[in-house]
Amino acid sequence: MKRSLFNLFALLAVLSLALAACGGAAPAPTAAPAATTAATEAPAAPTEAPAVAVEKTVTVGFTASQTGSQEVSSKRQVNGFNLWMNQVNEAGGLTLSDGTIVKFAAQSYDDESNKERVQELYTRLITEDKADFLISPYSSGLTAAAAVIAEQNGKLMITTGAADDDTYKQGYTGVFQLYTPGSLYLTSTVDMIKTLDPAAKIAIVNESDKFSTAVVGGLKPYAVAQGFEVVLEEAYASDTADFGPIINKIKDSGATVVLGGGHYPDGSTFARQLYERKIGIQFIGILVAPPDSKFSELGDAALGVTGPSQWEGKATHTEAEAKGLGIEWFGPSGADFAAAFEAAYGDKPTYHAAGGYTAGLLLQKAILNADSVDSEAVKAALDAMNIFTFYGGIKFDTSAEAHGLQIGHSMVVIQWQKNDAGELVREVVWPADVATKSPIFPITAP
Amino acid sequence: MRNWQKYIGIIIPLLVVAGLMLYPTVTGKAAARETAFTILKAIALASSLNILLGYTGYVSFGHIVFFGFGGYVGFYLLSSQGASLWIAILAGGLSSGILAFLLGKAILRLRGAYFALATIGVNEAMKAFINNFDLFGGPTGITLNFKTYLAYGGASKALEMAFFIVGGLACLAIIMSYVIRTSKFGLGLLAIRENEDAAEVMGVIAPDAKTWAYVLSAIIPGMIGVLFFFKNGNVEPHDAFPLHASIELLVMVMLGGQGTVLGPILGAFAYQGMRGYLVTSDFFKDIQLSVSGALLLIIVLFIPAGAVGWLRKRSELLRRVLA
Repeated sequence: MKRSLFNLFALLAVLSLALAACGGAAPAPTAAPAATTAATEAPAAPTEAPAVAVEKTVTVGFTASQTGSQEVSSKRQVNGFNLWMNQVNEAGGLTLSDGTIVKFAAQSYDDESNKERVQELYTRLITEDKADFLISPYSSGLTAAAAVIAEQNGKLMITTGAADDDTYKQGYTGVFQLYTPGSLYLTSTVDMIKTLDPAAKIAIVNESDKFSTAVVGGLKPYAVAQGFEVVLEEAYASDTADFGPIINKIKDSGATVVLGGGHYPDGSTFARQLYERKIGIQFIGILVAPPDSKFSELGDAALGVTGPSQWEGKATHTEAEAKGLGIEWFGPSGADFAAAFEAAYGDKPTYHAAGGYTAGLLLQKAILNADSVDSEAVKAALDAMNIFTFYGGIKFDTSAEAHGLQIGHSMVVIQWQKNDAGELVREVVWPADVATKSPIFPITAP
Repeated sequence: MRNWQKYIGIIIPLLVVAGLMLYPTVTGKAAARETAFTILKAIALASSLNILLGYTGYVSFGHIVFFGFGGYVGFYLLSSQGASLWIAILAGGLSSGILAFLLGKAILRLRGAYFALATIGVNEAMKAFINNFDLFGGPTGITLNFKTYLAYGGASKALEMAFFIVGGLACLAIIMSYVIRTSKFGLGLLAIRENEDAAEVMGVIAPDAKTWAYVLSAIIPGMIGVLFFFKNGNVEPHDAFPLHASIELLVMVMLGGQGTVLGPILGAFAYQGMRGYLVTSDFFKDIQLSVSGALLLIIVLFIPAGAVGWLRKRSELLRRVLA
């Protein structure tokens, strides 16, 4: 009897949850999405009434990968965005010329790093939570699915953590990319290798996914055009844990330089196993993993490994640099951003965090330039955008073929080196004019 | 027995689907349509898997391969060859059916755990093949130009159309499941499930019956794949062949009650409804995976026969009504 009752209870619990899910019993978002008018009613004075302060809360919607393979980078990105939002709101919001005060609220859901529910969640953000603007999920694949919904609903989406070029060549008009496109990720590394060893033999070993394949798609022709010999091209599955066979191939190819990688888990494993095998590689350039502060946990295996970075605290862009280029400067300095981030989260910001912060900063600048929160006006402001921030230049392609593709931002190359105290630190080694240290080359065997 | 009472076993499942299709129209909410799309897609996939798992007793851990392969074929025709969505859907279903026929001839000779392991291998092998198949974009997959939606009245109309098609495919999967369940062919499958050797002695040609069950269970997933990728606007190998999705389908079928027509529908409805609620709930959204895992554990522990099996044991009336 007892067992039957328990069974019945369990069944009813599940069914009621399911019915609640489909019965429109969804909870209200935490952030008030609609515009709110402040209660500062003007006194009934017939003459010279003080201006009515109208406060508008703009909802920014996005999904974040709180679980799944993109969790680490996605969380850093969200932390960066939240820092920007809190700073703006605490400073009293943005004031438009008509006196409207614009404040921001975020609404987000967990996309579990998979595409199944991305469109469902973005539709919900737009239609139920009334998001005014959208930020992309982390990763190119998830962003590609979200972009369809954003465009369909006429919502502007600023993408960060979505470097693949392809998404911006599908005829979208309201999707704007913050990152340097994937096809250019490793080209500056090639430029650096040219100064170190013009006769280097390159092995390209990359994760077999959308982003990494786009990166090596741009890398190989560039390397060949620079006169390098590409002696090996090898792609590996995303969940590869044993790089032994690939390392054997690298050894047999006679390569002196290894370029490639993919995301954090595979990139860090690849670097560690390359170190353990000691096959005499003189230079290693890996995507995504090296710029993450966690990479130092590899210990000596991290030493000498380089990676392209969208932004580095040590080589942050400055107002003087913007002035020299004749481009408008906007936002805080890199040092201020880094200090605020560290104070808020107890961790040094990576480029993912800087990307999240700058996505907010870009939206802020576009609203100020448009002097409105109207989507069309903000879109026009984004189309005309050409600014410099601590994160670097921001300018978009406005052609029909690649609308929204980032064309104003360039990357730096970092390398893990040891400081005087023998601790592993990330140093900027390229471009030479912003480098904090000379590159270690060739990597010396410990 | 009155005529309609004879068909109550199909009427109830179809009413569930009709309700799901009407719900977004009645509420006028696009978000409700997206939620209903996810549930209808799960109903169609789970009902298809049930033909193999529930009726024939063969556990397939890699059934999502048909969703991915058919989806890729159809999406390629749609995005790269300019085929219409209808042609693409048909091609997706047909190619999945052919793949199932060829695979069935090879791996349905295996039984029990060996068959289950082989299906995982097939899924992983197909993913690796597509990953290296340049015609389908290799690892970068295929992306649909946004302008393609214009042919269907714009993206908004296209996505609405996709919703009604998925509803139609869910109905088709249910009707197929019911017709098989109540046919001589279905009886043969049930006999194979109970004891394959005995079924053969009784005159069931087991290899043929199993192969056709496999083919029939693969067609609708192939069509759903095309529709899902069309709606998403892009496809990559790891989205097309996610092993966890196969396992989720097994959970749905077992949750609702394998071997019944209504079971996979209830299972898909409860599972996806629960996941949808938890992921958007302010209270649960940060712990949604843990909560759904705990709930599933409770259900599997206490209702191993699934919801329909449990309900059927309660009364004679329910036994008659729930097919």
